[in-house]
Amino acid sequence: MLKNIYVTPLNLLKSATSLQQQVRTTFVLKRKYDPPLHKTNEKPRRMRAKNFIYELVDDTLVKKRPNIEVVLKTFVEGVGDKGDVVSMKPHFVYNKLLLPGLAAYNTPENVAKYAKTEAEKSTVKHSSPYAQRTVNMLETIVLAVVMNKDEPWVLEPWHIKASLRKTGFYCREECITLPKERIEGPDLKKENKDFYCTVTINKLEQARLKCRLHHWSTDPSERLPYVLEHWKLQSEPLLDVCSPEKTP
Amino acid sequence: MQSILSSMRALALRQSTVEPLRLLHLSAVSEAARKGTREKARKKKVKVEVKKVGFIPHNQRNKKINVKRADKHVDDSWKQVPKDDCYVGRYYRWPVYSVQEAIQCHRETHHPSMYNVPNAPLNLDIELNMQAEKITRFVDNFQRMAMIPHKFDHGEERKIIVFTKGNNEVLEAREAGASLVGGVELIKDITSGELLLSDYQYVIAHPNILAELVALRGLMKRKFPNPKSETLGTNLAEMIVKFSSGISYSAAKDEYQQNFGLITASVGTLDMDVQKLEENIKFLLQDINTMRPKREGRFITRVLLKSPPSSEQLKIDPFVYVPEMWDKSTAKVKRDGAKKQTEPAEPQEAVASN
Repeated sequence: MLKNIYVTPLNLLKSATSLQQQVRTTFVLKRKYDPPLHKTNEKPRRMRAKNFIYELVDDTLVKKRPNIEVVLKTFVEGVGDKGDVVSMKPHFVYNKLLLPGLAAYNTPENVAKYAKTEAEKSTVKHSSPYAQRTVNMLETIVLAVVMNKDEPWVLEPWHIKASLRKTGFYCREECITLPKERIEGPDLKKENKDFYCTVTINKLEQARLKCRLHHWSTDPSERLPYVLEHWKLQSEPLLDVCSPEKTP
Repeated sequence: MQSILSSMRALALRQSTVEPLRLLHLSAVSEAARKGTREKARKKKVKVEVKKVGFIPHNQRNKKINVKRADKHVDDSWKQVPKDDCYVGRYYRWPVYSVQEAIQCHRETHHPSMYNVPNAPLNLDIELNMQAEKITRFVDNFQRMAMIPHKFDHGEERKIIVFTKGNNEVLEAREAGASLVGGVELIKDITSGELLLSDYQYVIAHPNILAELVALRGLMKRKFPNPKSETLGTNLAEMIVKFSSGISYSAAKDEYQQNFGLITASVGTLDMDVQKLEENIKFLLQDINTMRPKREGRFITRVLLKSPPSSEQLKIDPFVYVPEMWDKSTAKVKRDGAKKQTEPAEPQEAVASN
């Protein structure tokens, strides 16, 4: 009986070890003038006022606190998957992980408790901590696909890949799925019209990318007039059925 | 009594010894300053005149002061290495391409279906750390000519005048593509003023005419042939090919950041063979590396491949072609090795030029 009662508090104490912290109001000081020496077995000599002048050695309040290790209870975007032990800055850990209940302190018990089960491992929902961020950013932009005004062309995945690279997104050609309809040009009726393609990240997450066609001529006099901030303007869809996964 | 007497004597003796010493030290001359010393000191003092500066408009003030400029040597090693196959570039390190990949990327954007400039020039932006042996010293701006194995149209007019005596050498120089070849009669024309030296960018000479050429030293000034700049030598054909088809580049230090140098050079056009472009890049980088100061650390810090009209800058790794760090013990050995390497490449150039 007694043993059973003792087990739980002991465990609680153990996980609390990482909570123990030095009091924040500690200042490490040093005497500017050493106190006078005294003889052995005699009373120490009286200190003068100057002996109570101190120099600041260390202020623990402004010291950078070390990272804290925590075990994630669920998938957290930009941090890691369930069961991962991550080391992050303390304020981020307190406010974004511990308070919302997304993580627990790194103790052997917690690691065992929140480790991924076999069933969870087989059903992968997220390929990497940053894939969702990439999806979000891809879905917010309007990608300018600049095609030639004079030469005939058919839109291919590498056109999208090159356009993405120009805007600072890097991806492989295999990730890009174009709409089923063939997009041909040059056709000035298609100028400034939208179509959607799908970008698959790590063969798992899918982003719906809004693309807008533009025509560009090598000869400067042939070029179309520049539209300022064209991505903010409303435009018409290029295809009747924009993309295979268009929601009704 | 006797003891008192002896002590008195001792005192008397002591006094006698002290007095002459005192006399020596109390001399007035040794303590006073010399007559002219103070005047000299006064003259030495320079009067500091405080100039009154009136109001200077903000746009005319010296820009060098009180302006914090970002370090031009970009270091993104603190950023993450991407693990996903699709990622947002700004959160990660710059991708480092191989030359083939980078050229392929440029070819994509310059494809007829996009920019339609398949013969766009391929430019190289080479960033240098110009710091010399000491932190306060910097490598001077330099201008050089890099020999390349594969010719391309660099778009510059390069006229070469060659001075030589022998008939064989005149023929050799004409075949190699010199604009004007001549001997003593050419020197006479120049001294009489019938021919203008300023029409020619490069002057090359064979050592057999050097004695007569000295008359033109005043006219040529810095253009006067010398073996250090490789404009004086016996192998005329090679020199002419180098100056007519080589890459002329100049390294310039930044106005505000002395340790940042930039070289912009063209190495060919996008429609050239990838292997040929890569070799040109290799020879250019090796030529730049000969200017490396004798210190630790990198000299070439970053190499970017550009191609107008696209604004893309693709980073390539230059240390595939040149050693990254300076090695004191192997520096000499490597230089010898490099010379040996260049020798078998020469016949290829001759073939390419033909």
